[in-house]
Amino acid sequence: MSGRIDRVALLAVPGLAYLAVIYALPLLMLLAKSIQTAEGISFSEYRAFFADDYNIRVLLRTLRVAALTTLLALIFAYPTAFVMSRAKGPWLTVFLVAMVLPMSLGVVVKAFAWSILFRANGFINSSLQWIGLTEKPVRMLFTETALVVGAANVFLPFMVLPIYAVVRQMDRALPEAAASLGAGPFFRFFNVTLPLTLPGVVAGSAFTFSMAISMYVIPSLIVGERQQTLSMLIARSFLYLRNEPLGSTISAVLLGIAIFVVVFSSWLARRLGARS
Amino acid sequence: MTQSKTEGLTRRSLLRTSAMVAVGTLSAPSILRAQSSEIVIGCAGSHTAWMEQLVAPHMKKAIGADILFEGTKSSVNLEKMSSNKDAPYLSVVQMDDPVMIQAVEADLLNPITAGAVPNMTDLRPDAVHMDGMWCNYVQPWAGVAYNTDYSDGVPTWAALWDPANAGQVIIPSLQNTEGMWTLFVAAMLGSGKPFSEAQYEIDAAFAKLEELKPNLLSVYSTMSQAFNLLEQGEISMLAGNFSSYTLPRKGEGVPVDLAAPKEGIFAMPSGICLVKGGPNPELAEAYVNEMLGAEMQAAIADFATSVPANTTVTAGAVIPEGVPIYSPDWAFVAKNRRAWIERFDKLMAL
Repeated sequence: MSGRIDRVALLAVPGLAYLAVIYALPLLMLLAKSIQTAEGISFSEYRAFFADDYNIRVLLRTLRVAALTTLLALIFAYPTAFVMSRAKGPWLTVFLVAMVLPMSLGVVVKAFAWSILFRANGFINSSLQWIGLTEKPVRMLFTETALVVGAANVFLPFMVLPIYAVVRQMDRALPEAAASLGAGPFFRFFNVTLPLTLPGVVAGSAFTFSMAISMYVIPSLIVGERQQTLSMLIARSFLYLRNEPLGSTISAVLLGIAIFVVVFSSWLARRLGARS
Repeated sequence: MTQSKTEGLTRRSLLRTSAMVAVGTLSAPSILRAQSSEIVIGCAGSHTAWMEQLVAPHMKKAIGADILFEGTKSSVNLEKMSSNKDAPYLSVVQMDDPVMIQAVEADLLNPITAGAVPNMTDLRPDAVHMDGMWCNYVQPWAGVAYNTDYSDGVPTWAALWDPANAGQVIIPSLQNTEGMWTLFVAAMLGSGKPFSEAQYEIDAAFAKLEELKPNLLSVYSTMSQAFNLLEQGEISMLAGNFSSYTLPRKGEGVPVDLAAPKEGIFAMPSGICLVKGGPNPELAEAYVNEMLGAEMQAAIADFATSVPANTTVTAGAVIPEGVPIYSPDWAFVAKNRRAWIERFDKLMAL
């Protein structure tokens, strides 16, 4: 190779340098901090973290909330993406704006909005009583259900857009061909449409799960301190307990989960893409 | 491969240009700020209203300073000071006494001296701590905030535990300084001892707090949201709230009030300090001097319904009569707070 370098490859340098300095380096420092103890290199913080029942409960709650948030977002996003893929002209613009515009609204504002809706005298409870489904207000604020609903709302665009991108490129002749060969709607969906759109589902789920598992502001505002998540434990460790090894350890656990989700979903997306 | 000098982009030129851009970008804020009249003040998030309306215009006029506020919790301010110890960007921090003790232990503060801050000599003696490491500038009083649509008052702290108030109470986390009031009240009610002794009866406090769980809708670390729920009638009582927050809202016509229960109320420990090695030290001292001066003290005390620390000022909140006002052993709190937070979080967890 000569002294010259591929100029196209250079386009990646600013981004990579930025990520290396702002992201990779602090992460490495964080990981190092989690195994640095007064006695030297040790995994004692990890052992202590996993030996505490409270931490395990928080870890399981975090995983459960992230999984349910992803599932709920998927339930809403999948049909939405199909409608968007068939929309044309101004309707497509309306859908895209409806998906993108809420992302410009702060998470704090959305979380506050949900806390208003979930109140005893809020819109949801008033509606339930008005239509006769409940006789008195149901407690929704500060519940895990409220958290899942609020989080799914915030992360919905990150589920819709990847699915929409895949559905948009899907060959619509394939389900029609299956229908012409006598396949019923359910057979067509589960054997033709769904497999073709799975890469989008996997990508959207990976985005949503990764963000849901690390969310901090939304649970802080919607469920408060009595139902802590891993991110809240991290903040508590650094800011209030001033226990950097513990905070670093929990951060590393969270990072490990996020990396697993990203790697597994990329592998799954490649595999599903190859198959379809 | 042919090379052209005019289109050539070499590794060396790329690295040189990138390094110059990076250095320029990263150093620009400090270069621009170094000689400016701007100082950054760390303060409580709940103080933002009066800091913006009263303090910023006054400081511009009185000392020519452009004030930039960062409103957050005391413990977050401490973390900012600690993390930036080698290159502090905060000049002055206003935070609570127990966190001030931690800041002194971490060698993050410069002492305030009467030479540089003459108004310090007008303060009550008990408002100057650890030979001037920090001063209390105002002291709101803390009790139980309640929604006036629900009741006419809260005569006793025991009302928080009343089964009639199931699901109607929110208390602060021990991460917040005002969270300590519920802990100490629980200690008094649980041990049956007077405050001076009860504040050390932490096991009794936690046992009593456990009995409070059925009445709790939530535990907050963000006070504004909890207060909003009180205003809207979602809860009837908010424990440990203080005069500088509740009483101005009452004055605006919101259906809330602050009760001074018979067992006693608490003095919120609002302190001000100079950050060691902080930018613009002379301007920082001038800022503190103004904050402790009669004009600013009267304005803040009136606006935030607090008790001024300057003895020449007669303004602000009147401490309710007929109930004792407590100030705990903050050194004991600072020493044990981390363990209490962990214990509290586990106790309150659902």
